[in-house]
Amino acid sequence: MRFPTLILKNLLRRKTRSSLTTIGISIGIATIVALGALMSGMKSGMEGILKSGEADFSVAQSGVSDLQFSKIAEDRVEEIEALEGVKKAVGAFMTFYPVEGNPYTITWGVNREDLSMFGVNIVNGSSFSQEYELIIGEVLSKDVGKAVGDKLVLGQEEFNITGVFETGSLYHDRGLALSLKKLQEMEKKEGYVMIVYVELEEGANIEEVCHRIEEGYPDLVTIKSVAELGKVDKGLEVLDAVNLAVSFLAILIGGIGVTNTMIMSIYERTREIGVLRAVGWKRKRVLSMILGESMLLCLFSVPIGSLLGFFGVRLLLLHPIVGGLLEPIFTLDTFVRAFVVAFAVGLVGGFYPAYRASKLSPGEALRYE
Amino acid sequence: MNKMVITKNLVKTFEEGRVKALDGVNLEVREGEFITIMGPSGSGKSTLLNIIGALDRPTSGKVTVDGVDLSKVKNLDEVRAKKIGFVFQLHNLLPVLTARENVEVPMFELGLSHKERVRRAKEFLRLVGLEERLDFVPTKLSGGERQRVAIARALANNPKIILADEPTGNLDSKSGDEVVQLLQKLNKEGRTIILVTHDEEIAAHANVIYHMRDGKILKHRPSPANQELA
Repeated sequence: MRFPTLILKNLLRRKTRSSLTTIGISIGIATIVALGALMSGMKSGMEGILKSGEADFSVAQSGVSDLQFSKIAEDRVEEIEALEGVKKAVGAFMTFYPVEGNPYTITWGVNREDLSMFGVNIVNGSSFSQEYELIIGEVLSKDVGKAVGDKLVLGQEEFNITGVFETGSLYHDRGLALSLKKLQEMEKKEGYVMIVYVELEEGANIEEVCHRIEEGYPDLVTIKSVAELGKVDKGLEVLDAVNLAVSFLAILIGGIGVTNTMIMSIYERTREIGVLRAVGWKRKRVLSMILGESMLLCLFSVPIGSLLGFFGVRLLLLHPIVGGLLEPIFTLDTFVRAFVVAFAVGLVGGFYPAYRASKLSPGEALRYE
Repeated sequence: MNKMVITKNLVKTFEEGRVKALDGVNLEVREGEFITIMGPSGSGKSTLLNIIGALDRPTSGKVTVDGVDLSKVKNLDEVRAKKIGFVFQLHNLLPVLTARENVEVPMFELGLSHKERVRRAKEFLRLVGLEERLDFVPTKLSGGERQRVAIARALANNPKIILADEPTGNLDSKSGDEVVQLLQKLNKEGRTIILVTHDEEIAAHANVIYHMRDGKILKHRPSPANQELA
């Protein structure tokens, strides 16, 4: 028999109790996995908005709590394009409209000639050319069952679908695009764009150009990578904090559960621990055994919790509002995080019982009835 | 012959001195001797055995086991692991482990390989006549068989002394006899045996019988078996 086998057999002694504790921790792990996947999805969506097509970086209004509140005068777009090192600057507007039951359909306002900058590839039909024309993403087209030639109501107005596009980004392909001017008018923000996409000339230094923009226009902020999302999306930062807080709570609640289980277990096994000490076991080995049991208990919950989290999110997405808004992305990072949390819960939750068991005097433990 | 156990003026009190379990016990056990300690409940037999077995420390007095003064040893685990084998009244086997695995338990501290642990456990179980029961869990074994597994476990680390605290207390007389015969066999192989018992018949198998009362050793006498030998 190997030492880990002994640890496993000890856990299997009380199958119900071990299972219930594992399920308790699994729920915490599931929460972490689900939240992590949703966060990754949201970040990826934001990244999709901020780093579209050929753009090297994007520019938004500084100090806004959400990108949607960003408002940049159209003159600025030309000024940015005139800067040294900048090949092209394109202004765009983005908002959400309810479309056929999906309340949050991403809606872009872009000049027809700038569509290529977004990596938009028309797979069917042609681009919009009139005020009341729009193109829709491949995925949205399938979701709502609309194709070229059909009509679509946006706000109070009716549009003709002239084309279906794909960009390769699921986030965009679930959206639609129409002329910038029309969307500005619908949103009552004539003369303003929300975001400016900048493509650099070959060999231009991105840091220098960004620095020049932020220095020249204190009301603007540049976003080069997803790590800088916080500059224009405080909500994402808040969610990140919530995610962290939930993880801590999971550790705390899970940890208390594990501590409770393990204390009960050593209480029942006091005599047995006395016997182990009597046959020569050192304190350290008793400590390793109990700690090993608590950690194994928690590590069991990683696969269970991950599956729960995975299917839980899928279930959540069946709801049309949630499903339209969020696209979870399960990254290795999320599962690694779940594993680390489980490991920590086992270690933290098991330490006190293990310490207590190791401190038992063998003589007293053997006298224990 | 060498002295295996020497106790000098052993005193052990409990509950902050209100209960005196041992009151100046002097005992000498030679290497290879088989002694029994008898006495009524609460006379201090088990307390004495626990102190000799390095499970408890005395309140005052001195214990030497196989030449080692236990009061000078900071960590008694090692003494227990290398010199002493315990057999208790209740077999105290781990219920989830098989007979073989139970015998392996003490060997974790010896740094033996997995293969070596298995080999030794089998060997000791053969010695106690349980080679057919290697993979049985305690609930599938009879009381006598369980106690024999416990004896095999006590032998796991090849100790010089076996301390047995009423090992036949929960057994029928036939199983009890088997256990005592096994202890005698181990004694003949050179191991020192200290056996605590209530049972005169069991005690009679030893070389010397000690009687305890109120934490004191009252008298000792050679056992009938020993007289026959003489």
